Amino acid sequence: MKKYSPELINKLTDKARLLRCHVVEMIARAESGHPGGSLSAADMIAALFFHKLRHDPLKPDWADRDRMLFSKGHAAPLWYAALGECGYFPKSEFARLRECGSILQGHPDMLKTPGVNMSSGSLGQGLSIANGMALAGRIDGKDYRVYVLLGDGEIQEGQIWEAAMAAGHYSLDNLCAVLDFNGLQIDGRLQDVMNPEPIPEKWRAFGWNVIEIDGHDMSQILAAYDDAGEVKGMPTIVIGKTVKGKGVSFMEHAIGFHGVAPTEEECKQALEELGCG
Amino acid sequence: MGKKVKKQKSDEATKRWVSGMRDAFSEALYEIICEDERVILITSDTGAVCHDLIKANFPGRYINVGIAEQNMVGVAAGLAMTGYIVYIYAIVPFVTMRCYEQIRVDLCCMGHLPVTAVGVGAGFDYNTLGPTHHGTEDLSLMRTLPGMTVLSPSDSVMAAAFARISYELPGPKYIRLDRTGLPLIYDKDEADFSAGLTHLREGKDVCIVATGRMVKRALSVAEELAGKSVSVSVVDLYRLKPLNRELLLEILGKSARIATIEEHFITGGIGSLVAELMAENCVYLPLKRFGIPDDFCREYGPRDYLHSLYKLDLQSVARAVSDWVKG
Repeated sequence: MKKYSPELINKLTDKARLLRCHVVEMIARAESGHPGGSLSAADMIAALFFHKLRHDPLKPDWADRDRMLFSKGHAAPLWYAALGECGYFPKSEFARLRECGSILQGHPDMLKTPGVNMSSGSLGQGLSIANGMALAGRIDGKDYRVYVLLGDGEIQEGQIWEAAMAAGHYSLDNLCAVLDFNGLQIDGRLQDVMNPEPIPEKWRAFGWNVIEIDGHDMSQILAAYDDAGEVKGMPTIVIGKTVKGKGVSFMEHAIGFHGVAPTEEECKQALEELGCG
Repeated sequence: MGKKVKKQKSDEATKRWVSGMRDAFSEALYEIICEDERVILITSDTGAVCHDLIKANFPGRYINVGIAEQNMVGVAAGLAMTGYIVYIYAIVPFVTMRCYEQIRVDLCCMGHLPVTAVGVGAGFDYNTLGPTHHGTEDLSLMRTLPGMTVLSPSDSVMAAAFARISYELPGPKYIRLDRTGLPLIYDKDEADFSAGLTHLREGKDVCIVATGRMVKRALSVAEELAGKSVSVSVVDLYRLKPLNRELLLEILGKSARIATIEEHFITGGIGSLVAELMAENCVYLPLKRFGIPDDFCREYGPRDYLHSLYKLDLQSVARAVSDWVKG
């Protein structure tokens, strides 16, 4: 496995921690939101925004930028946290999550928020749009990459498999899906609600390069994205095994925190645990 | 981008142009694709030979996504968000209802992307394929979407013009086509379809507002009734959205009664549209709506036969209008 400098690992791990702090704080302040799935994906998203993505916060519409899409739109707070930290908009906006007139709404809206490359909220649609962007990149001869964050419950949607088939068929090696495999959805465990497993085998069968990692291990995350960039002739999915609510003891593995905001007291405790209290 | 490809026009395609709406549209779209490298056509394995020219000469800009319409809309959105002007093509129910939420979210809600959904098979066009293939609620569904332009051509001249109009208009569009040939209503060189509707014929007793294939039917009814001293006005309502309210109201006000006719469920189509317009604008005139009643057609047979089942054939409509006028 590739070696990454401790400085880089530490920097990205700390960025992920910071993103988690923003997520908890903004959801608590808004008194509504989805903390669990934002916290679980924070490490994989931090690695992209603060290391891997070719992007320029001052030019959100730069034609040659890598495209980052959140197909699981309910993880919007994580997206906003990353965009704000990168400088797409002032971090003071975090305090206005879900407020009237705010640029940060309950689900991502590309018409409101700089850096949001695609609106989402209705699950299962982002991979198809990523396909379109990846195809456009190929037709235009551009070397940007397209990353799309998928939820594990989301892959129960049929459209995901239409899109998976198409990406495999078109050999979209400029496309990288990131699966936040935290094992929980709003009504319970995936395997109880509607079991999508075996997940890696399914994607392989659709013609994808599959990389399975611990979605909280920064070295594995970086190596996965690097490997994905080197694979030719097929799209890659990074399946990150994660813990829903990661980083906050009472939110970890807790289905109740899929879509429920922490109270003021819980927020305080969470921020202390995350080291930003 | 920007490189122009020399236009290639096959004689066979030119011949088809005058007969079928679908072919006329495809031929015109081919010309646009020749001119502009940003234009892409996506199909979902529809087997339409009318796309052969595009497929043969621009394989890179003809994408067959397989039988997967939901993905087709998403791919179109992704391409449009990257600067392309995209056409998606399938039989009416599959390019509207199968992927309705994708159209709503990806094309309309996300910022009015320049994607045109082309549905072939208006009404009972696929007469022998049963209710799965009938296009009987598409106008209703598409006109309720914010930002969507809804076009329903009545002949091949108009269908060809709509290829160009849809290319030039911003935002999402829906075009409802017939497969087959129709007698032409418009002259190719003189037609201007910017108004959204055409007042084809004046008449004081009844104004029939029609769309698509039923425009020709309305004209025939008017002709038939002219000999029976019933004066019928005919409006071709080819752009349902955005609606030219002022012009339509002005025309409606000139007749004693209003009728609508469409190869579409009565619910939600142009009958509903005209009723809404009249009610909102205090046009207190009798209204009769001809269309498909609130049930699926499970009969199979020639299209004219299916029309007769719902009293949309020439004689039934003419009789109903005549009886209505003569009280």
